[in-house]
Amino acid sequence: MSYLTRWSRKRSIWVFPVNAASCNGCDIEILASLTPRYDAERLGVEVVASPRHADVLLVTGTANSMTRGILKKIYEQMPEPRLVVAVGACALGAGVMRGCYNVGHGVDKVIPVNLFIPGCPPRPEAILFGILKLVGEHPRGQVVAKEQIGKVSTTEHEEGEK
Amino acid sequence: MDALEVVEILVFPGLTFFVWLAFVFEWLDRKTTARMQGRIGPMLAGPRGILQPVADFFKLTSKEEIVPQFSDKLVFEWGPPFFFAAPAIGTIFIPVVGLNAIVSSPYDLLFILFVLAFSTLMAGMLGYASAGRFSTISIGRLVLQYASFEIPLLLAIVSPAVAAGNLSISGIVQAQSNFHWFVFVVPIGFAVFIVSSLAELEKPPFDIPDAKTEIAAGWMTEFSARPLAYVKLTESLSYVFLSALAASLFLGGTAGPVLTNVTILQDGIYLAYFLIKVFAIGFAIFAIKTALARVRINQAANLFWTVLTPLSLLQLGIVILLR
Ligand code: SF4
Repeated sequence: MSYLTRWSRKRSIWVFPVNAASCNGCDIEILASLTPRYDAERLGVEVVASPRHADVLLVTGTANSMTRGILKKIYEQMPEPRLVVAVGACALGAGVMRGCYNVGHGVDKVIPVNLFIPGCPPRPEAILFGILKLVGEHPRGQVVAKEQIGKVSTTEHEEGEK
Repeated sequence: MDALEVVEILVFPGLTFFVWLAFVFEWLDRKTTARMQGRIGPMLAGPRGILQPVADFFKLTSKEEIVPQFSDKLVFEWGPPFFFAAPAIGTIFIPVVGLNAIVSSPYDLLFILFVLAFSTLMAGMLGYASAGRFSTISIGRLVLQYASFEIPLLLAIVSPAVAAGNLSISGIVQAQSNFHWFVFVVPIGFAVFIVSSLAELEKPPFDIPDAKTEIAAGWMTEFSARPLAYVKLTESLSYVFLSALAASLFLGGTAGPVLTNVTILQDGIYLAYFLIKVFAIGFAIFAIKTALARVRINQAANLFWTVLTPLSLLQLGIVILLR
């Protein structure tokens, strides 16, 4: 792979979020990671409206018997190279829905998952951390330390919360 | 056609220059939108994220190309370059350095009108060729929107031509030297042109054909990889093209208010005036598009048919009487 391709894939991440029967908590956190405080766009993240445009599928919620087929279909509509990120405890392994009659497994039983972001719901920092990790940038080591990424870094924010 | 002309058309101030401008425009658009929303916008790709559109473009070209099963393969695969060609050809009629464009004929404006219509037609064909549900709905909306904004746009383009008594863009720019800008002669025409170009660009408040929350990505829904890269680039190029057209027709293009007759660096001054005006109009469009929400299709049609068309007719009448 040429340098240009590698660089452009790292710097431009188009995300298609899918709600596969989540409680909406995770979706709100994904939304929060796009808002002024966290602003995922500075990393090159863009939310696109069609799976055909997307590089990353952000799945929230446990895939139940209703959304399983839809999820598979959406995954198949994405062009290669495609990555799947499972956000939240539900997507990792049913979470609070474990034991329900229509669920009982995480998203990885339906489609291949590249990255898991745990939490119920995961914080926006965790989602940004995951996205950076996905494209091979380690936020604490390199990228966030630079001033250019913006005012809110992961550590700074956690200190402010206390 | 000699070698110099080929270089002019392909490199500067032709195709390459305008593609570069299109990338810069898209970056500025994202930055302005982000700033207006209290965010900071792209930061990582290049200094202050200026290479973000370039990264997007090259990433798209390296992805897998999906051709839907029931699509019209010929149009779907070969349409995007033609779609790209429409604004790209239109830009060579616009003076960038000096008061003359690379190519100018006495009938420039007719060709420009053809280019504007052709790019909408190409969008319609691409949408239909992809044979998706969302694309089909989107094309219906696109055609209705086109039917409503075309007449005001046409009349708004014609009024500076009447004021200059000339159908060539270079001629219209020359008529505006000595600070005789047509924005002061045909102010209503200018306003109508800006509003109609928002509709032509499918930007809010007229982003009805690709309303994200209603019909996925509109007629672009089925496109991926290289065709999508071309389509996106064409959108930014149309942005630049319409801004440059507005600057040339109404704000005097390369003709500035002062420093019109220095001997050294005259071309640089022309270029600077052109860029300042194009970016000013670009910023105005970015601000309007970020600040406004989408109107319904019937509201848009109402606005164009009952408000803007009479206004542009009035403008045309005034210009003809004043001449
Ligand atoms: S992980 Fe928690 S917040 Fe996320 S969808 Fe499941 S229950 Fe809701």
